[in-house]
Amino acid sequence: MSVDTLLKGVRIIELADGVAGPMASCRLGDLAADVIKIEEGEGDWMRRSPPFLKDGRTSAVFYALNRGKRSLRLVGEPQDARILQTLLARSDILITDRSDTDLARLGLDEALSDKGNPKLIVARISAYGASGPLAGKAGSELCAQAMAGYTRYLGSAMQPSVRLGADVAGVSTAIFTTQAVLAALIERGRSGRGQRIDLSLLNSLLAMKTVHLAAQSDPDSFEGPRVGGAYDPPESGWATADAPVTFAFGGAVGANGRPGWTSFVKAVGLQYLLDDPRFDKNGRSTTGLGPKARELKGEYEKSFRRMPASEVVAQVRRFGGFASAYLTHRQLMAEPQARVAEVVVDAGGPADVLDFPAHFSDSRPSPRGTLSALGQHNDEIVKQLGLETIEARAG
Amino acid sequence: MAGPLAGRRVVDVSIMAAGPWIGSLLGELGADVIKIEPPAGDGTRWVEPLQRGMGTNYMCLNVNKRSVVLDLKAEEGRNAALELLRSADVFIQNFRGGVIDRLGLGYDVLHSLNPQLVYCSVSGFGEEGPLANEACADFIMQAYSGFARLNGCPGDEFEAFRFTGFIDLTTSIVAVEAVLAALLDRDKAGKGQKVEVSMLKSAMEMQSTRMAELLGADEEPGPRGSNSPNLMPDGAYQALDGEIFLTVHNDRQWKGFCAALEQADLADDSRFASNALRLSNGDVLDAILTPIFAARPMIWWMRALERAGVPCALAQNFETLRYHSQVRDNGMIAEIDTQEWGRVLVGGLPWHFSKTPGMILPPPVPGGATESVLDELRRRSPADFQEVGGS
Repeated sequence: MSVDTLLKGVRIIELADGVAGPMASCRLGDLAADVIKIEEGEGDWMRRSPPFLKDGRTSAVFYALNRGKRSLRLVGEPQDARILQTLLARSDILITDRSDTDLARLGLDEALSDKGNPKLIVARISAYGASGPLAGKAGSELCAQAMAGYTRYLGSAMQPSVRLGADVAGVSTAIFTTQAVLAALIERGRSGRGQRIDLSLLNSLLAMKTVHLAAQSDPDSFEGPRVGGAYDPPESGWATADAPVTFAFGGAVGANGRPGWTSFVKAVGLQYLLDDPRFDKNGRSTTGLGPKARELKGEYEKSFRRMPASEVVAQVRRFGGFASAYLTHRQLMAEPQARVAEVVVDAGGPADVLDFPAHFSDSRPSPRGTLSALGQHNDEIVKQLGLETIEARAG
Repeated sequence: MAGPLAGRRVVDVSIMAAGPWIGSLLGELGADVIKIEPPAGDGTRWVEPLQRGMGTNYMCLNVNKRSVVLDLKAEEGRNAALELLRSADVFIQNFRGGVIDRLGLGYDVLHSLNPQLVYCSVSGFGEEGPLANEACADFIMQAYSGFARLNGCPGDEFEAFRFTGFIDLTTSIVAVEAVLAALLDRDKAGKGQKVEVSMLKSAMEMQSTRMAELLGADEEPGPRGSNSPNLMPDGAYQALDGEIFLTVHNDRQWKGFCAALEQADLADDSRFASNALRLSNGDVLDAILTPIFAARPMIWWMRALERAGVPCALAQNFETLRYHSQVRDNGMIAEIDTQEWGRVLVGGLPWHFSKTPGMILPPPVPGGATESVLDELRRRSPADFQEVGGS
């Protein structure tokens, strides 16, 4: 059994702030890569982003995305460029969200050109893409969501916009970056050469929107519900005696809808719906989404309001449908399923962390819980490279 | 336009959404992907909306594949699948718990048939535990995982995200990450392994930063309208004629923001001297900012904030973003011509490799490659195929 050696011996240089770059290298670190995070001045802005760990000063998000890395702080001296150049000559991967201008300022233009390390894999993350009129423009999670049209699928028409609460641009870009680096390593195993990969927040969100883009390909020729935008009221589930639930008897639809639905409505005292023409084939199955769901919501709620959410969910599942209450995160953490699935692990650090999201039969990713102080490994790394130490330079 | 996975073969028996997009992404990376569809067809063919009779979900979630229709419940179909898997690099399945074993395509069977195979198994809640055999879908996992609890106006309980199948697709990208790690390991160690991905853990991965609030600071994450818990200002502000979206990440951008607003005293105001202070005095700051933004049009603010280096944007819709030169110049939306269903738009390549770019190929006609693939099997190893077919 190979144990946590997936990326053993692979060195990653991370020169990135916020979510996308740091999260990508964090997960690659969980696969046993050696990650060196490089920061300038006061460092990654996420360091100063609340909320904080129990110590009152370490950003909880910064910890989650930067644990397990070594820290190198640039001090704004000419030697910086030589340290970076030497590091890149001896590394496998650079993950950076810096612009061409910033990289040139750091003295990296040549190291990142064809004259540099031919085996180096360089993942370049930007807000809006490497080409085009907005290349190099500063971006953010929120701006990427707005640019990609995501804010239209939440909230209500003519009301203030609502963002997706999860950092979907940053996290999806982190995952695409991780993929890009792994695919480039696989390719390098054959060709012996590294390459550059460009990624962006906007690009990631549009890739993640493929279902919705396809649905709108040709608005004149499609059949089915309109999926345009923000005119629908917020999706807020079905009310029960306590917490709201969502449910469906969807999936592959037979000629008469899912047979489970018929048994289900009888069991919950809604057998009269069997004779209601609004509950045709689609009404029996597509309960979860679409205009039909809203039209028929009240009928279901007549029964659901008499039961707690747990009972509605149990009844739906009993007849082969799928259902869930809208859990809070604390409620989810208390679920036996979350414990069995090991959603969260103790990595030996100041807070629990999300486990690596996939389980391997033979390999064991191991999230590392320690967080380095800013610049903690300056001397160690510089010595490793055979360069003067920072103290020596300062002296 | 060979991608980094050129020469690798993927056999995909998954249906619906979370499974199939894995194969498509591996195909975009250059792998040869064979989708094995049951005679009854992948259900997404009939999921609305349809375009010229074909489900648009089927089209976008099955790009870069060839389609072979096989009845895995019949011996002939199963034997053909096994023959394909004998030399495949990756296998993808997302049946409900236990089904794949009953079909004779469980991990132990395939691992002894082809020890190099990376076996990717996708589930809703995980393969063990009280919910292991429950079916799942995008909106179910939005509810169960707390994802919906992060959306909405402040004070709202929650709001689900419409239309995009976002958690399905999140599961697919997590699976691709894991499959690539296992392939890399396989190339080094010579042995494939099983990779398990669940919608549950994928949904949690997508919520990494918000879960840090609970795990690190013991605070329940909740909806905040257009604002974030980490930064201030970071939200949508109502200008004279519409909303402007903006974010201030650091002190440099804060100074730029104050300059763009022509509010020199704001930059010197000790209540707003750091991001943490701006967050804790967020209501006070918003009360100052609201009338300032309302006095001028959104394009005014766009220009002013851009000049000051502050991230800002206007919200787009399908018609504005599909023709945006930024989107077009970077190939972020791909226009694919299909033989039978006309032109379909799909998300563009999420990564742009300089030396092995990969490409997006149209979705298959269901069963369109059945004969050619079966012919290939007969040509490649007639004896083996006879043996498997006759056993």
